[in-house]
Amino acid sequence: MEAVPNTLCRLRVNGDVHVCAVAPNTTLLEALRYGLGLTGSKQGCDKGDCGACTVVADGAARLACISFALAYHDGPEITTIEGVAKDGRLHPLQDALDLTGGAQCGFCTPGILMSAWALLERNTRPSRDEIARALSGNLCRCTGYTKIFEAVELAARMMRERGAVTAESRDR
Amino acid sequence: MLTLPAFEWVEPRTLDELLAHLAAHAPESLIVAGGTDAVPNLKHRLHEPRYVVHIERVRELDFIRDEAEGLELGPLVTLTRIASDPRVRRDFPSLAKAAGLVAGPQLRNMGTLGGNLCLDTRCTYYNQTLFWREALGFCLKKSGTVCHVVPSGRRCVAAHSSDTAPVLISLGAEVEIASAGARGARRTVTVDEFFVADGVHNNVLGPGDVVTRVRIPARACGLRAGYQKLRPREAIDFPMLSVAFAARVSGGICQEARLVVSAIAAKPRTIGGVDTVVAGRPLDAAGGRALSVLAYKQCHPLISVPYDQDYRRDMVPVYVRRAVAEAGAAP
Amino acid sequence: MSESPKPPGMEIPADRMMPGADRLTPPAWPSGRASSPNPEFRVIGKRNRKVEGLAKVTGRAVYADDITLPRMLHAKLKRSIHAHARIRSIDASEALAMPGVHAVITGKDLPAYYGIIPWTEDEQALCETKTRYVGDAVAAVAADSEYLAEEALNKVRVEYEPLPAVMDIDTALAHPEWKVNEKAREGNVSKHVHLEFGDVEATLAASDAVIECEYWYEGSTHTPIEPHCAVAEFDATGLLTVWSSTQVAHYLHRDLAKVLGLPTQRVRVIQPVVGGAFGGKSEPFSLEFCAAKLSMITGRPVKILYTREEVFYAHRGRHPMRLRYRTGVRRDGTLTGVDARIAIDGGAYSSFGLVTTYYSGQLLTAPYRMQAYRFDSTRVFTNKPCCGPKRGHGSVQPRFAFECQIDKLAEAIGIDPIELRRRNALGEHTRTVNGMRVTSNGFLECLDRAERASEWKRKFRRLPYGRGVGVAGSMYISGTNYCIYPNEMPQSGVQLKLDRSGRATVFCGCSDIGQGVDSVLAYIVAEELGLELRDIRVVAADTDLTPVDLGSYSSRETFMVGNACLDAARKLRLLVAGALAERWGCDPGAITLAGGVAASTREPERHCMSVKEAFQIAESRHGTLGSVGWYQSPKLGGDYRGGTIGASPAYSFTAHVVEVACDVDTGRVNVEKIWIAHDCGRALNPVTVEGQMEGSAYMGFAEALFEEQLFKPAAAGHGPGLHHGPSLLDYRIPTSLDTPELESLIVESVDPEGPYGAKEAGEGPLHPSVPAIANAIYDAIGVRCDRLPFSPPRVLALLRATDARAQWERSRAQGAIALAGGASPC
Repeated sequence: MEAVPNTLCRLRVNGDVHVCAVAPNTTLLEALRYGLGLTGSKQGCDKGDCGACTVVADGAARLACISFALAYHDGPEITTIEGVAKDGRLHPLQDALDLTGGAQCGFCTPGILMSAWALLERNTRPSRDEIARALSGNLCRCTGYTKIFEAVELAARMMRERGAVTAESRDR
Repeated sequence: MLTLPAFEWVEPRTLDELLAHLAAHAPESLIVAGGTDAVPNLKHRLHEPRYVVHIERVRELDFIRDEAEGLELGPLVTLTRIASDPRVRRDFPSLAKAAGLVAGPQLRNMGTLGGNLCLDTRCTYYNQTLFWREALGFCLKKSGTVCHVVPSGRRCVAAHSSDTAPVLISLGAEVEIASAGARGARRTVTVDEFFVADGVHNNVLGPGDVVTRVRIPARACGLRAGYQKLRPREAIDFPMLSVAFAARVSGGICQEARLVVSAIAAKPRTIGGVDTVVAGRPLDAAGGRALSVLAYKQCHPLISVPYDQDYRRDMVPVYVRRAVAEAGAAP
Repeated sequence: MSESPKPPGMEIPADRMMPGADRLTPPAWPSGRASSPNPEFRVIGKRNRKVEGLAKVTGRAVYADDITLPRMLHAKLKRSIHAHARIRSIDASEALAMPGVHAVITGKDLPAYYGIIPWTEDEQALCETKTRYVGDAVAAVAADSEYLAEEALNKVRVEYEPLPAVMDIDTALAHPEWKVNEKAREGNVSKHVHLEFGDVEATLAASDAVIECEYWYEGSTHTPIEPHCAVAEFDATGLLTVWSSTQVAHYLHRDLAKVLGLPTQRVRVIQPVVGGAFGGKSEPFSLEFCAAKLSMITGRPVKILYTREEVFYAHRGRHPMRLRYRTGVRRDGTLTGVDARIAIDGGAYSSFGLVTTYYSGQLLTAPYRMQAYRFDSTRVFTNKPCCGPKRGHGSVQPRFAFECQIDKLAEAIGIDPIELRRRNALGEHTRTVNGMRVTSNGFLECLDRAERASEWKRKFRRLPYGRGVGVAGSMYISGTNYCIYPNEMPQSGVQLKLDRSGRATVFCGCSDIGQGVDSVLAYIVAEELGLELRDIRVVAADTDLTPVDLGSYSSRETFMVGNACLDAARKLRLLVAGALAERWGCDPGAITLAGGVAASTREPERHCMSVKEAFQIAESRHGTLGSVGWYQSPKLGGDYRGGTIGASPAYSFTAHVVEVACDVDTGRVNVEKIWIAHDCGRALNPVTVEGQMEGSAYMGFAEALFEEQLFKPAAAGHGPGLHHGPSLLDYRIPTSLDTPELESLIVESVDPEGPYGAKEAGEGPLHPSVPAIANAIYDAIGVRCDRLPFSPPRVLALLRATDARAQWERSRAQGAIALAGGASPC
């Protein structure tokens, strides 16, 4: 069967509405990366084993590589890594991951960040165990997770203190 | 990229619309909800349906209802919701636990109860890409004639891999099925009866059948229950072995119990003779040991899942003891 | 120059000290190489961010698959379904006839052989006459989309004639007539190395205990989260540009030119941001050649992205090794002789195999003194994906075996295993038994720190049954002077420019794969020229723009790139300080450039200005400001064939202590914590050094407990050679819930030759985790895990096969086991 991009797909992503035409056998990850140019979400395994493609919709972390683009047609708002910083200001998670060294090669970072973001949106005082559980669907090969945990704890603290930022990010 | 095969997209909004499509096109259709099982299998070209019928917008199938007969859950309830719902956690904690152990957080947010029940059976020779299976020469379950697990065998031995199913069996739960072929007529079977010992297709759903409701009977409230899952990592992995146990205990004495061992065959194995062993006795370590001996005799894991088969069989008594201990310690 | 304190009583005996002629001449910088030109460090040693960090956390970093070019085509590779087969024919006519398919190439389109080591060029981008493993590439199709390319691939018909397949070391040696690799000189032997230093038999005979054991180290692979990806564009002027997720832009550049028949001047390789590599991207791969060739044929850009499955076939991971060791010790704890016999499973091609075979022996001779040492290593070809360098290339496996041997020796003579390691510590400024020059050496401090932090003395042989601690040590190279291809040119070059806008741009061919080498450049420039980090631009790994750096392998980047950068930065610093000194009438040595300010130390209030102004003054005085720096390691190593392989300008040292809790009902080993003490010379940025220590320990832990790269044998119904499970679901790396607590303890011995005293931290800290876990398991439950991985079924089987509890109790008893005159088998 031919895969013809003949089906309308209206996606709500990071506060914008994007209209594109997809073939039904297009995953959300393909639509985001190659259709909309939002290359922040990554393809690590393309079948749901690694979490590098994690995005958030309806407050829940999901895997874009095994989601259909059309399932999100006129569907819930999707937040990707590109939509986490608001009005040009870094989210505390982004600042914290950079500060603590939680991003080495950075390839798992968008997925990790989205899972952590979903956690912090509903719980600003997570225990280390809760952080580890929230990230248990995101594989990282570089860090051994230690500095990622520190980053999430630091970001949670910053969020509880009403978004206080570090000296460096204040200067941007 | 692992590309998906091409297909036509069908997205009903109501159960009637769904059944109407199935009435006309069931054999060429694949029903998909969260997609956590179906989409990787599609990428592996294990299915190449003409229609993918996406049912997540059939909202009438997403519910948790407290009825007189019991707790009713729609097939579209996500695993995350089951794990966190206060009613499930209060009345059926082993189900909340099992749902909370499936895969990883993202997959639980996407995956549904119906999907978990209808999980395709798994095997190291089956769940691979088209290239890999071509190099293998395919297998009995898909495109081939040989079972590589039991080369002289004529039956597929791919394993059941759901976490919620063995727990639901231990709780005596039932499944309601609507049949497009019978103009939407409903029938109800126990979750145990829902599964059949056939690795190729391990449940009773025929073309045009849709799971519409799972009911956990009210009498299952207050059962002492436990669920133990063996897997190599603490997340993501399918069960290599799982044990669900539930017992009615009153006055410290066990009246009846169910013990289900799963991930070792196409159908979860309800261990026979359990009542004989435990009825009239306290639910204690001795009872756990006796049940573990019974289970060990009745379980023969095979190498369909990528983990040492003798080891998995040896773990049956260990995990049975742990499931019984968990049930015994439950408030 | 600060010195790390030595433990008391640890003077190095005179006969172990290097003769004066061997000592290094420090560079001609007034303040030396190890310290800042300013009164104190402002950037070096501080917990800084990385230069590309914010791009990564905002999703803006551009990796190879993020690149899209106009009219770009997608290509996919057709792969062999046989472990070993002759190619009889390839018919691509049906594929070519499909609409949207633009080109198909096969082996005859790219016949040139290549290989990372010039003496063993045995690979073709597409197999021409035969395939050597399931997954070996035979054709490539370029089409409008990946979907179409895949459909077209299914229409390429290949006729194979299967051949007998060699699936393991013993079969490879027993059947030389089943020749896997025609470039092998004899049978299936890839490389054989036999080296002996001193009289091993005599030293073993004079020992009070000799332990002889066999170990098996299973193969594993890198699994970077980013799969290989290449985009190639052959433009109208005949310039080929290839963007590739690679660690070695320079070697890729050379091989692209060679295989495609283009002049090197007409090839440009650009490394985008790379999503992890660990040695799995340190040579050219089929996708780069095929993307380039298809672009040349179609006149359009072509992208190839490997699926995760294909990454398992590309492999180049940890060689499976069978290791037999005999090691001896005297009652007073002196290690005597070491004899190693090692068989190495190399897979279908050579890759770095020549080096692997040498490393399997050459890198064992520190951190402990040995009176005599012999190793005999043989690498063989098999019909499996090719093995290569994975973090700790060729030395992780021997180190595992040897550190377990040390533990067994310690028990045999009743000495604490940390104490035994102390007594045999090599020390600094000395030579190993195989002629390697060791300069800075913080190993003793590593042992001390790990011992203290873990509360070893309270725990070792004292915890209840099921819980235990284990220790291991190691060392690793900070790059080597072994040139991959023979030449006398620098190993690393840096160009630096400063300009009147007040910032610097650093150009270097170095390869940042997540370890932070791009940032190292910035930290050095910031320290030398007083700039803020954000006023430094780093341009890296573009062969048109950047001077050659050989790439990220052998842990050479910080040491060699750092030195080249220091060279370039100091030259410009002299110019800037000189211009200011003239203006202020003071000595150039009295100028500081730090924190954005240039000042004279004599009169800092009167004589100060922004560095931006200082650069303008310097540019007015000297003209346009730019410098070149480079690094070439000194000629090092033993005076024998192969004596340079393993010779490094500096060695790092590591010690781990691991604490485990074992479940004796299930065999499950829960590694609770790893204390990682690592001598990195100087931590240019403690954050990134800790990151490397933790990441390394994680990877070792993963190999010890989870990973195995296995292949199915032939069975009724299918041939041999199928990968057991080429996915991240079946090939398991630990999740956040599986990983132990990791504590990093940085030790700084301040190397005389490293940039500011820095040495490597990227590979050394992996080594001790595996044996430390094995030793901890023995402390916990009395079983010796001599085979990887220590999976629950294996541990349980060991518990049942041996009288583990009794063994555990015996080892708890204080008395030493009676010493036998001959070898004790395990």
